[in-house]
Amino acid sequence: MSGTPLIRLVNVTKTYHLESGDFTALNDVSLDIMENDFVAIMGPSGSGKSTMMNQLGILDVPTTGKLFIEGRDVAAMTKLERTHLRRDAIGYIFQKFYLIPLLSAYENVEYPLILKNKTRDSTGRTQAMLDAVGIDREKSEHRPNQLSGGQQQRVAIARALVNDPKILLCDEPTGNLDRKTGYQIMDILCDLQRKGKTVILVTHDPKVAEYAQRTIRLDDGRIVAS
Amino acid sequence: MIGGIFFQLSVRSVRLNFLRSILASIGIVIGVVAISSMGMLGTNMQLQVKDQLSSSANTIVITADAIRMGPPGGGGPSGSQSSSSSDESGIKKTQLNKIRAAVGTNGTVIPIYSSSTEFTSGNVPARGTIYGMDPDDATEFLDIGNGTSIASINEALVGQTLADTLGISVGDKIKISSASSGPPSNSSSASRATVKVVGIIDTRGTVADRVSTDNGIVVSKEWFVAQYGGKDIYDQVNVIVKDTDQITEIEDAIDVKLNTDEKTPAVRISDASSQLDTISSTLETLTTFVLAIGGISLLVAAVSIFNVMMMSVNERVQEIGILLSIGTETGEVRKMFVYEALILGILGAGIGGVMSLVIGYSVVDAMMGTTEFFFLPDSLIYIPEGMLVGMAVCLISGLYPAWRASNMDPIDALRSE
Repeated sequence: MSGTPLIRLVNVTKTYHLESGDFTALNDVSLDIMENDFVAIMGPSGSGKSTMMNQLGILDVPTTGKLFIEGRDVAAMTKLERTHLRRDAIGYIFQKFYLIPLLSAYENVEYPLILKNKTRDSTGRTQAMLDAVGIDREKSEHRPNQLSGGQQQRVAIARALVNDPKILLCDEPTGNLDRKTGYQIMDILCDLQRKGKTVILVTHDPKVAEYAQRTIRLDDGRIVAS
Repeated sequence: MIGGIFFQLSVRSVRLNFLRSILASIGIVIGVVAISSMGMLGTNMQLQVKDQLSSSANTIVITADAIRMGPPGGGGPSGSQSSSSSDESGIKKTQLNKIRAAVGTNGTVIPIYSSSTEFTSGNVPARGTIYGMDPDDATEFLDIGNGTSIASINEALVGQTLADTLGISVGDKIKISSASSGPPSNSSSASRATVKVVGIIDTRGTVADRVSTDNGIVVSKEWFVAQYGGKDIYDQVNVIVKDTDQITEIEDAIDVKLNTDEKTPAVRISDASSQLDTISSTLETLTTFVLAIGGISLLVAAVSIFNVMMMSVNERVQEIGILLSIGTETGEVRKMFVYEALILGILGAGIGGVMSLVIGYSVVDAMMGTTEFFFLPDSLIYIPEGMLVGMAVCLISGLYPAWRASNMDPIDALRSE
């Protein structure tokens, strides 16, 4: 696997059709991300960071150009195949945590496992994931709104990891946390990268970007530094 | 077990918005109660009519065909000027003899006079039907609950309803006015004739033999002819057959003997089954109409379920975005909202089913005065049917909201606040 990049973008352009005219959010971007990379994507507002994240997370497909994940052309996949790829290959960590409000912390972590295996988790993996991010059993019974921001982000990380994805896609993971908690979360991400995950991080905080091995700067939909 | 987590999410969503969900379900409750109660009422009416008619299932009723023209049969004392309902058409004596011949020993032939008239007892007036027949024939098919049969010419039997209206009992007298302006010559003194009540006839309800005595009185045929004339021109002839299985055979025999001219049949022959068909089809039309009105309430319920489901979808856009982005299939999201609609449906249909039993029973009891047919399968079937319709309405109302939820763009959905 070390030869082929885990993620490859070839001349990717994403254009949105707005009433005020076409808007090109990503302009002819080519990029390779290898397995076990730790990449930070930086740039000012409107530079195309979010669009880039949506592309890497297969929530969207390029207008022109090609995107390959694990060597597979995303645009050629069916909607269901993309859904399964999101479920199995990518773990998402969001700035606003985005836990499912009606489920307990435990159930939030268990949820992707249920999607994959079509059955409740009887292997103890869910609890193991929660233990790994420092959420105890008592806390794991709580609903998201009963947890602090740092605890919610830990649960979100556990959820992202439970299906053992290769890629961790983090969109401003420390954006809603205080500095100290933010560093704790970054330490967890660094540790995961050391254990073999590929971590892609979008941030505008240079201190956070320092954790990465490689920083990609976007401006006006183009890569200006890599 | 994949249904498990989505069912859980649906249950929790309903519980989170419990008041709203209950209010939406009340629409379904009302709809289910409306259609099952109305359906049960209609069916109970049909069953009651069927039951009452079956008591006279052994009776053939022969009447003169209304189209029949020509002078009344011979033997009438005052001819066509005779003032009664039998003044121009009726079963003549010759026809009666033919009927007797056709029936033979297979049944009893009962010729009956009848007319509509006014009764008074004290100062209480009432309208009703007066029947004239042989006293022995009367006891053949009328049940005298209180008193005795007619023994002499001035005695009469009174129907239960009329007796209640006039407030009379056995031994009282009833004045009967002649319906006509010109009383027959031999009965001028009898134009305000008085009869003595000797018996009260049990309530008969809807009967197929066209002798509705509930609001009428029965007198001897001699008294009737003396009062109204029209001797030997009978308004109807009833044949009580010994074996009900032979009824069609006997009807055919009568038909052959009397209706010799196919184009203008002389008499009309009917029995309980033909009358039951007519009444049943009328009641069925009525039931369908009332069910349709009940259906409108379900339509209103459908709108409120739809509304609640759309609210649920719109409130949970971001949650739907999360579910879709972390790899939930669109079908799974759809399932979650269909479950939610079904929960509302099961809730509404369940409560509605129980209430249908209570309200349906009360309605049938209040409208019909009897619930003896209520627990028959034909009647009770409307409860599960109503519940199924209620649940189906919820399911259908939830389809579009579920489709809408599952087809959201995860990026847009996540971004929404």
